[in-house]
Amino acid sequence: MSAPTQVYEPFRAGLPPLSRYVKSLWGRRAFISEFSKSELHEQHFDSVFGQLWLILNPLLLSGVYFLLIVIIRGSSDSTRYAHLTASLFLFYLISNSLVGGVKSITAGQRLILNTSFPRIMLPVSAVIIAIFKFLPTMVVFLVIKAILGLPFTWEMLWAIPVFMIAILLALGLAVTISCINVYFRDIASFLPYLTRTLLYLSPILYEASALKPNLRAFEVFNPLFPLLESWSLSLVHGQAPHASSLLAGLAWAIGIFLIGTYFFLSREREFAVRL
Amino acid sequence: MTNEIAVSVRGLGLTYTTAIDRRPTLKGRVKSLGRGGKQTRVIHALDDINLDVEYGQVLGVIGANGAGKSSLMRVIAGIIPPTQGRIEVFGSVSTLLALGVGFNPSMSGRANVVLGGLAAGMTRDQIEDHFQEIADFSELGDAIDAPMRTYSSGMFSRLAFSVAATVRPDILIVDEALSAGDAKFKEKSLNRIKELRSDDRALILVSHAMATLREMCNDIAWLHKGKLVQRGEPNATIDAYQEFLKVGKSAAIDEDV
Repeated sequence: MSAPTQVYEPFRAGLPPLSRYVKSLWGRRAFISEFSKSELHEQHFDSVFGQLWLILNPLLLSGVYFLLIVIIRGSSDSTRYAHLTASLFLFYLISNSLVGGVKSITAGQRLILNTSFPRIMLPVSAVIIAIFKFLPTMVVFLVIKAILGLPFTWEMLWAIPVFMIAILLALGLAVTISCINVYFRDIASFLPYLTRTLLYLSPILYEASALKPNLRAFEVFNPLFPLLESWSLSLVHGQAPHASSLLAGLAWAIGIFLIGTYFFLSREREFAVRL
Repeated sequence: MTNEIAVSVRGLGLTYTTAIDRRPTLKGRVKSLGRGGKQTRVIHALDDINLDVEYGQVLGVIGANGAGKSSLMRVIAGIIPPTQGRIEVFGSVSTLLALGVGFNPSMSGRANVVLGGLAAGMTRDQIEDHFQEIADFSELGDAIDAPMRTYSSGMFSRLAFSVAATVRPDILIVDEALSAGDAKFKEKSLNRIKELRSDDRALILVSHAMATLREMCNDIAWLHKGKLVQRGEPNATIDAYQEFLKVGKSAAIDEDV
């Protein structure tokens, strides 16, 4: 007789066999893409007006914040506006991943109870959705930058590795929060306060360089700070980001991703009885 | 019957902890900190189950509500890990535990065929090859291109069953999912399950429809409170079960498929 194709035995706390897990996740890639597409469709982001809203929403927000800055500081310039939009767009990538990820497991109840698949697929698809919402806003930013007459330089390409780090961070955050939400369902209601706090603590309404040194010391605890600083430096100012910021952002992203994924994978076999 | 083993269950026990609250919250947890109230409940779902299913077998699983039938199916399908024992599965498993898993009501029937098929583990090519078959079987006609939220519940289950019945696994697990649509479609879906019976496939059916099980199965397992009570020839086992329930062959249990 041939060897069994599947063996199920009691699991102790810890990770499932990782290579098989990744393989089965990869085997589900068609489902992941179709699943994400249907979610986008449900939120109407595959229609013209849906996409328009996607761009309008952060644009209006950046307009409001720009107005705020002008009123408080009495003056402002076009670089500040470009900084504001670029930073808000990247911030929305992270915050959309969190908001989409938080309920991904609890909303996928029927799938989890009735089919066997790598559960991490659900928060991953939340991040994919956030990326799809992010991409059109980048086109808008480049148009704005061209209109404002800001310089286009080769250093802007540094935004690509920053974007990669942001995705890793978004994945880590979405995976972590989706898992926490299984045990504490009210995390979703705390989330708006969390994202709002992150928004004000991150260099979005202000430039990272404008922060007082004594305040800046506290920003080592903000995973978004080095990321957004590098993002604005490369994309808006056309300069190479500081290596220290880039590395700090990468360290945060890897740390959150590894801890969150470990937490998730060691818990996911229990989700079916917890939902 | 000396066929190859499809599923081997050895000394299976399942005990799990579940939250008492339907929605466990941080707020509730903090509020009960001082009082030390219990937040979770331990459930003993299955106890020392030994069960072999061979290829060519159609195994019916019967038992009262809460006997552990669904838990057993979920463990065999790999959805819930066992607490004790070992399960070996020889072949691909497909589960029909609920209809329309993975469906998104805002999408068209056509898109949901793809979505549901992928969720059930089919590849894009397989779905494309079988699309016409699925559409024909569901008898939806032009409605296949309308969003599924406009469907009646009968139409929904018809399409869901059609997708599920197209998956051709080595081992198929069906949990009371046969009651799709009207009497005519019910018969049609029953026939489809019958077609799926073959020597190189194992079927496990969970049902309360004793007449159907007598007709379809060549083996019955009777569970009660997480234990395997009796296993054997359909008529004898079902008779014993019905004797146990003290309802005899009343219409109440034969009625629904």
